[in-house]
Amino acid sequence: MPLLEYLANGLIFSSIIVLGSIGLSLVYSIADFANFAHGDTMTIGAYTALLTFGAIGSLGGAVLGLPFGFFVALLAGIAVAALVAVVTERVVYKPMDVGSIGMLITSIGIAFIYRAILQLRFGADFTRYDVQTLRPIEWLIPYGIRITEHDVAIVLSAAILVTGLHLLLQYTDLGRKMRAMADNPELARVSGIRTDRVKLWTWVIGAGLAGAGGVFLGLYNQLSPRMGFSLLLLIFAAVILGGIGSVYGAMLGGFLIGMINQLMPILTDYGIPIGIEYANAVAFVIMVAVLLVRPNGIMGEAT
Amino acid sequence: MSWLTDPVGEFTDLTRAEQGVTLFVVAFAAFLFIGLLSGGLGPSYFLFLVGLASMYALLSLGLNSQWGFTGLINFSVAAFFGIGAYGTVLLSASSSPVREALLDAGVPGVLLNPVVGLVVAIVVAGLIAVAIGIPTLRLRADYLAIASLGLAEVIRLIVLNQQDWTNGSAGVRGIPSFFVGWPVLSDFPSAMPEVVVDLVPGGSVTLSPPLIDWGLTFGQDIVLGTPFWRALLNVSLVLVFLGASYGVLRRVHRSPWGRVLRTIRADEDLARALGKDTYSFKMQSFVLGSLVMALAGVFYAHLNLYVSPGDLDPITTFYVWVAVILGGSGSNRGALFGGFVVVAIREGTRFFSDLGSIIFDVGSTEVVISLGIEGGPMRLLLIGVIIVVLMRFRPEGLLPPQRELIWPGTVDEVPEGPDVGVRDARGGTDE
Repeated sequence: MPLLEYLANGLIFSSIIVLGSIGLSLVYSIADFANFAHGDTMTIGAYTALLTFGAIGSLGGAVLGLPFGFFVALLAGIAVAALVAVVTERVVYKPMDVGSIGMLITSIGIAFIYRAILQLRFGADFTRYDVQTLRPIEWLIPYGIRITEHDVAIVLSAAILVTGLHLLLQYTDLGRKMRAMADNPELARVSGIRTDRVKLWTWVIGAGLAGAGGVFLGLYNQLSPRMGFSLLLLIFAAVILGGIGSVYGAMLGGFLIGMINQLMPILTDYGIPIGIEYANAVAFVIMVAVLLVRPNGIMGEAT
Repeated sequence: MSWLTDPVGEFTDLTRAEQGVTLFVVAFAAFLFIGLLSGGLGPSYFLFLVGLASMYALLSLGLNSQWGFTGLINFSVAAFFGIGAYGTVLLSASSSPVREALLDAGVPGVLLNPVVGLVVAIVVAGLIAVAIGIPTLRLRADYLAIASLGLAEVIRLIVLNQQDWTNGSAGVRGIPSFFVGWPVLSDFPSAMPEVVVDLVPGGSVTLSPPLIDWGLTFGQDIVLGTPFWRALLNVSLVLVFLGASYGVLRRVHRSPWGRVLRTIRADEDLARALGKDTYSFKMQSFVLGSLVMALAGVFYAHLNLYVSPGDLDPITTFYVWVAVILGGSGSNRGALFGGFVVVAIREGTRFFSDLGSIIFDVGSTEVVISLGIEGGPMRLLLIGVIIVVLMRFRPEGLLPPQRELIWPGTVDEVPEGPDVGVRDARGGTDE
């Protein structure tokens, strides 16, 4: 029953995509440009966790096969990714006056700078976190599902973060202001919302989630300076599929794109000759098709 | 030819940016010339660099006609470049699976030459440009960027994974020279005699400034053999491509057609209100630019003699973008300049990483500047910094379009106002 296994893998991979796509969508709607440096923000999170974990060690006990030290490293990854994004926003993006296309081009430059610095420090090769590689969970194997406790940890942590964001958006003052701003920035400003501060928090939340996604991506695969940029187009596909500006759309889009990506082997099982090497290509084609048919995405408002 | 009769007057007539660029170009040319004379830079390698720079200039011209004139954010430059390269190579290279299949099917080998390859590459690039354009050109500008990058990745994945057509990641080797089978040019490099340039008869001269223990030696014999003539032939080919593209683009952009494109870039709704079918104009501009990029790819294949899916990496696209933004969006001479600067960055960083460290011996103290850095990340960093600094401080680029968008006759009729700078009155940038 390989289908269950594909679904399980899809769930794990989509957790990572969802974490990336929420941040991209938030920044897209509130800062009003397609941030091509978002993927490399994820890479920053991953490498910060690598450094932190290497420095503090395992710190005793472990949850789900991951030592406590790893969770501290995760927090460090989130914090540093958020900090780097905020500093970049203050130093580079904020003083600029070049329109959303100019910002888009600038963010490509920023992406290259992040990646080049990481590559200068860590080299271009693949690395891994120094955590023990686990065997698949025993009692799931009879069902044909081969996942490790690490994978469970990824899904659970992502679920906690996404739930936290949902509570923040729905029940806190900041969340209401953010939604108001995503909806109509001018109106939000006239209503007395300090849009600058809300924007700053948007960057913190978006980049922080991206940092977490990067840490998990490193745990799921491996770390390399290119990891984030390679994932960026998939994340864009998720955001566009869900509808730019809609956080819940980004979650749904991320889930769908992650699932489609991991369900690709089904095609060959049923005799359609499109191999898994075209998993990303299929996602991009879906993205273009969505743009054609419904440019506002599944959850986007019709204009 | 007022540059010949009155260079100083012409120079002072330029804007400050133009003066800076002119001085930079002159200084850089002098630097290369000294390199050639002192033997530090081999003449064949120098011509290879000129060929590469002209190729980037060609790519920049193509992108400039899409982005600079029509405002299309095309992030699939590398894809069209790759289509051009693979288009000619799959027909003419000895290790190409497609060529073998065609030969087996009874197609005479004479037909499978680079010129036919050029035509096929151009046609395929045009068809794919239409295919990519249909879904993407109706989209908002930033969606177009993402969609075109995605579709370029699809093309790269196809080239990488369809091993039975393209040899996959192994790439294609055994590429003939572009002129194979031509009457005279085919044998030109090997037929030319070996020429020895001896600037200082019977020896060499060492110039060494006083105080510093460092000198330049001039006048070693420079041998111009077969590789040099081959490189010279390649450079002439790309210069023909470049000249033709430049001429065509310059002409069409001054035509009424070009004016519609610039209107679309400035205000698409306005163009539509004037009754123009903007989608159709955008498509024409997109296809035209893509053809120029494919032309660059064709040349690259016969220059490098090896093509692999790595050439379709998105970084190629962004190199070309840097060239266009640096030169000035909408300015063809800016695109030419940008293309040359990008090659200087690419090859310059490679040079530094080869160098390892420089040791200056100043009198008794020895200054060691360690440059033991990998070229790759440095190049990436430099490209990133250039993008950010340009967009932050000079988004219009170094050589923004000035008079080149209007007919010379129109410019001359503008009276020189005392208060307004001549250049402003003569139709400065409207962007």
